[in-house]
This record gives sequence, structure tokens and C-alpha cells, in this order.
Amino acid sequence: MRIAILLLWAWCVVIAPSPTRAEEPNGSAALFATTCGWCHSQGGRAPGKGPKLAGTERDDAFIVNRITHGKPGAMPAFGGTLTPEQITSLVGYIRSLPPE
Amino acid sequence: MRTKCLQFLLATSFAAAPFAAAHAQATNSGEGSAKPVDAARIESADEAGADWLTYHGTYQSHHFSGLDQINTGNVKDLEVAWTHFPGRTTRGLQTMPLAADGVLYYSGSYSRLFALDGATGKVLWSYIPKLDEDLISRQTHSPYNRGIAIGDGRVYIGTVDGRLIAVDAKTGKPVWDTKLINSQKLTVGFTGAPLFVRGKVIIGAQGGEWPYRGPIFGVDAATGKQLWEFDVAGGTDEAKATWGNDSWRTGGGGGWMPGTYDAASNTVWWGTANPGPLYDWAGPEWKTKGPRPGDDLYTTSVIALDPDSGKLKFYHQELPHDAWDFDSAVGEMMMINRDGRDLVVHPNKSGFIFVYDRKDAGLANVWPIVENYNFVKSIDPKTGELIGRRDMTEGKQATPLCPAIDGGVSWNAGSYSPKTGLYYKIGNEWCIDIEIVKTTPIVEPQVQLNIGANFTLRPPPNGQIAGHLDARDPVTGQKKWEVRYAQPPLASVLATAGNLVFVPDATGILHAYNAEDGKELWSHNDGLGHVGGIIAYSAGGKEYVAVATGWGSLVGDDYDGAFGEPYKSMAKDAGAMIVFALKQ
Ligand code: HEC
Repeated sequence: MRIAILLLWAWCVVIAPSPTRAEEPNGSAALFATTCGWCHSQGGRAPGKGPKLAGTERDDAFIVNRITHGKPGAMPAFGGTLTPEQITSLVGYIRSLPPE
Repeated sequence: MRTKCLQFLLATSFAAAPFAAAHAQATNSGEGSAKPVDAARIESADEAGADWLTYHGTYQSHHFSGLDQINTGNVKDLEVAWTHFPGRTTRGLQTMPLAADGVLYYSGSYSRLFALDGATGKVLWSYIPKLDEDLISRQTHSPYNRGIAIGDGRVYIGTVDGRLIAVDAKTGKPVWDTKLINSQKLTVGFTGAPLFVRGKVIIGAQGGEWPYRGPIFGVDAATGKQLWEFDVAGGTDEAKATWGNDSWRTGGGGGWMPGTYDAASNTVWWGTANPGPLYDWAGPEWKTKGPRPGDDLYTTSVIALDPDSGKLKFYHQELPHDAWDFDSAVGEMMMINRDGRDLVVHPNKSGFIFVYDRKDAGLANVWPIVENYNFVKSIDPKTGELIGRRDMTEGKQATPLCPAIDGGVSWNAGSYSPKTGLYYKIGNEWCIDIEIVKTTPIVEPQVQLNIGANFTLRPPPNGQIAGHLDARDPVTGQKKWEVRYAQPPLASVLATAGNLVFVPDATGILHAYNAEDGKELWSHNDGLGHVGGIIAYSAGGKEYVAVATGWGSLVGDDYDGAFGEPYKSMAKDAGAMIVFALKQ
């Protein structure tokens, strides 16, 4: 629930939600669990195969670039799979994670 | 080299072969044999021979070598004979080398293929296919390669961009190159070794958690023409009926590790992967609700196929409606005989070992090799029924799920020694904290993964994460001894007639134990963790042990977060084939 509120906050403040996303209130968290959570543990809150994402000091451009192009042998490139809106929503999701 | 090989023919085939008397035809599998590696030679190859002709050693799939030059008495004198670097070893060297007539063949990441002089490591030829690198950058389980097949004068290798390639075993020149999967659309390709069976090559696609149907292909070995395709997800009408809402269309499956061949009944035994999405939120209502309601045949099953037609002969679904990613894709199908009964022993990723009657996959026994499991309370050893299944619903689970998604056993193989009658196999003790997430159903391909959960690796409730090498009776599971490791070893195990058991561990140490009591007799630091194969073979009359070295893999990657060093700083893009022999 807390996450959902944070998410809504993230969408309102950080990014402009696209209409389809707005119809799907938990969209980016579900998308994260589908394609990212396997490597970024606990929904990005803990290190796993990939680093912990909560509280990242990377800027949006870096994160978008990493999701789009991946990193060979470490993280797949999602630029051909996810729409720019979905990638933006994932940035919002990562920003919504409490940094502790 | 050839003359030298011939000189040693008799010495190798017989002196090094403790069972030579019982298998007078062992020259068939002897180094220096003029006979090509064909179906007859592979079928008659026994473990006393100098070669390693299939991924699992022989069709018996024991991962055992009858060579005994290197033994408990002299293993202390084992040293590196030569090393070969394949280059571009992204995610570690995961391959199982093959050996025939004193030549070592092996594959590296990006399906790089090498033939080396088994005695010196001299490169005889190499074959580096051109792959779709843009596709590879989008793939997850990529670009490692787990092995090759050999037969009828060719070496066969799959690629992550969906092709099966044959090259000439003498020259390394490509003979044919067949595109079997539209990987550009479906993401998945081939990482597992093919299996050569009487003029045919059989290979299974990746695909557990991908929206596809996990096909297994039969291909003509001479021409590369596809002969048949068996779809793991809904491959028959009977199977389609076990997937609600036609979910077989994106059901996953796949048989990403090679199985083996029972020549007596002309049957291919193969293990299949989990359905997708990995986790689902239907809970106890899984028969009618959730993204893939029903048993989801033939995922997480052991299937028996006719290699000529690709038709299903019989099967056993180890975990109906697998909701935990505990595939049956581990391709280890150990053929043994007990009290006159022909059996097949097969480890499931959950850490349960299934023992089958070879004639129909009827159950002979089921036993756990791990201490920590709670996805079921037990599995009925007579019927295979999952007793007390733990079917999770949406949300954070109150207690951890055991074993972890990384498996009670991992994808690499154990080893069975006919000499001691013991099965040497690694079991893993670890769990995950898990939250099941209701995901949007995926109906389009080219979505990377279809997981449906957030999770973190954690120790079992009453203890530490650990791996253990067990020496057990393969049928009853009775334990004779064990060796424990703070971090589960991920590579294959090798037992030999020298009464040795070799375990390449995660930190980079290769251990040799006494097969009778598990006492450590020798070890060597290979400098990088192990996630691949290990074999013994003979070249020029001398026994060698070859081990794939190089860390990475999608299980190994979890070690950074779970254990820190040495994994955090361990190279995940390096590796070597390291070959050992006795000091001169
Ligand atoms: C196969 C495992 C895997 C998957 C799947 C995966 N990642 Fe990653 N990710 C990694 C690894 C490994 C790194 C570290 C790369 C490096 O070495 O810099 C990483 C890095 C990142 C970073 C940069 C972190 C930093 O501080 O450098 C972000 C952001 C990220 N991932 C987001 C995502 C998102 C969003 C998804 C899903 C769309 C995703 N990842 C899917 C493995 C994965």
C-alpha cells in the first residue's frame, strides 16, 4: 500500500503518466516484477544478480540509457522490448523506492 | 601424432581400462581407433574407454571415467599439463568438453568451437560463428554455451540466435547451418548441448520463463534438415487440455539441457523446463485460476521421445503445475540396473531425485538430496504425488520458500561410479524471501522474462547457506558420506575408476576426494570459479583431466549479493580449459 502511494506520488511529481499507465495503477511495479526483479532483488531494494536500485545516485539519463541498452554479459537491453513510456515508468518506480 | 596415437592404442585401451576383460570390444571406444565416431561406436562405447563421446560421457550418462592411471595413490602428483583460453568468455566457461581419439573438442561462450591436441593443447582447428550480436544484447540467458555433440565425422553446436551448426570434425569447416528458431522474435535460442542419435541430432530450446512453447528438434545429421519438432508446452491434444485459456501458446517449457538415449528401446529421454510465468498467484486454485490454469503438460517433466518421429512414447510430470521454477530440465538421466531392473535416475531442480523404470517411466523411488525444502511437505515415492504443495497467492510470503530459485540441485551433473555403486551429487541449502506479484499476462513474444515475483536469496531458517557433495546410493538415497561447502559448488562432478571424485568449486578450487570415504587427497586453485564440465580422457596413452574454468552464470551472479568476495571482484568474462596430468 505504502508503495502504491509512493508510486502515485512518483507518477504525479516525477513523470507525466501516460493514459494507459493511469488506467493500470500498479503497472510499473508489476512490470518490474515481470522483467527486472529476477536480477534486482526484492523489487530493486536489495542487491542480487544486479545492484540494489533503491536510492541510486544515477541520474535519469543514465538509468534510461542502462535500461535501453543494457550491459553486455550483465543486463539485457530492453530498448527493443519496452516502450519509452514503460522505461520512463520504470525510472519512476526506481525513484519511488525508499533509499534506506 | 596419429602414428604416436596408434603406437599407444593397445596400451591405452587395455592397460588403462580396468573392465577391459569384461568388454573385449572396448577398442571401439579406444583412442587411436581408426573407426569414425558413428552411432555404432557411441552405442558400444563403455566407460572404460579413452574417450568422452557425449555430453554425459556415454549414453549411460554416468559422467564417470573408467581410466585409473590417476588414482588415490598418485593424485598428489597431479599438475597442469596445458591450458587453453577460448576468449570472450562472457558468463564463464560452462561447457562439457568431449574427447575422441586423443582430440579434445569444446565450446565456449558465443559458440566458439575448438579442437585441440589432447596431449599438448595445440589448436587443430577453431570455428567462430558469426552471431546476431544485437539479439544477444537483448537476451538474458546468453551468450554461454554448455556443450556439443559429435557423430558421423561432424561436431554439432547450437547458437543463442537459434541455429544448429555442423562442422567437419577433422577440419572445422562448416558443413551445414540450420536456423531452427526465430530467436529475433522469440528471444530464446540454444545454449544446451545437442545429442547425436543414429544419424540425427536432437536439441532443445531455452525457454522456461519465456512466452513460447519450448520446442525440442530432431535434425538430419548429414543434411541439417529439420525432421521434427516436439513442443513441450501443449505438444499433444492431451497436453493442450491441461492449460486453461489456451495458455500453452505462451507456456514456456523447453528442454535446455541434453538428455540421453536408450538404444535398446530406441528411446530418447529428455527433461523439460518450467512453465511461464514462473510464479503465479492462483494459489490453491491453480487448477482453474491464474495465468496458466492446470497441470501445464509437458513442462517440468521427463519425457521419452521416438528419435525417428519426435512422437511422445511416455512421460512422467515431476511437478504438475510447477509454481516454483523447479524444472526437470537437468538433463542427467543416469542409466543403471538394480536387481535385474533397468532404471533411470534423474535429479529435479527442487532437490528431489526421481528413480524411474526404464520401460515406461513408472516410478521406482523419489528421495530428497536437500535438507531444506518446503514447496511440498513430501513427494510420495510410489505415486509421485506432491503431498502438501505450497501454492502461493499474491503478496509477500510469511515464510521463506525453500529451496531457492537457484535450485536444490543446479544444472550441472553429478557422477555415478559403477565401481563404488555410489552417486556423487551436489545438493544446495538455500531459500528465498518472496513476494508474488500479479503481472499483466504476456501474450506477445520478445518480452524478456516472465517471472511474476520479487525475491532475495537467504539462508534456510535454521542454518547457513551451504552446498554439499553427497555420496549416496542412487536408488534408495542412502548416504555414505558428505563434504560441505560454505557456497554451493555449481560445476559438474567427475568420478573415476582411480577411485577419485573431482569437484570444481565456486571459489576456484578443484578438489579430488577419495571416492570411498570423501577424504580430500589433492586440490588446486584454478584462479576462477567453476560453472562448467569436467571429464577424463586419454591421449598418447596418458590420462588427462580437463576442467572448464571461468565464473559467471545466472546462478553464479547471485553470489555477489549473497557472499561478497571473492565473487564481487571475480572476472565474469574470462575462462580457460585447464588440463591436468601426472608429473612426468
Ligand atoms: C539478467 C539480470 C538483469 C535483469 C533482467 C535486469 N538487470 Fe538491471 N542490472 C543488472 C546488472 C548485472 C547491472 C549492473 C551493470 C553494471 O555492471 O554496471 C544492472 C544495472 C542496472 C541499473 C544501473 C544501476 C547502477 O547504479 O549502475 C539500472 C537502473 C537497472 N539495472 C535497471 C533495470 C531494470 C529497470 C530492469 C528491467 C527492465 C533490469 N534492470 C533488468 C542485471 C539485470
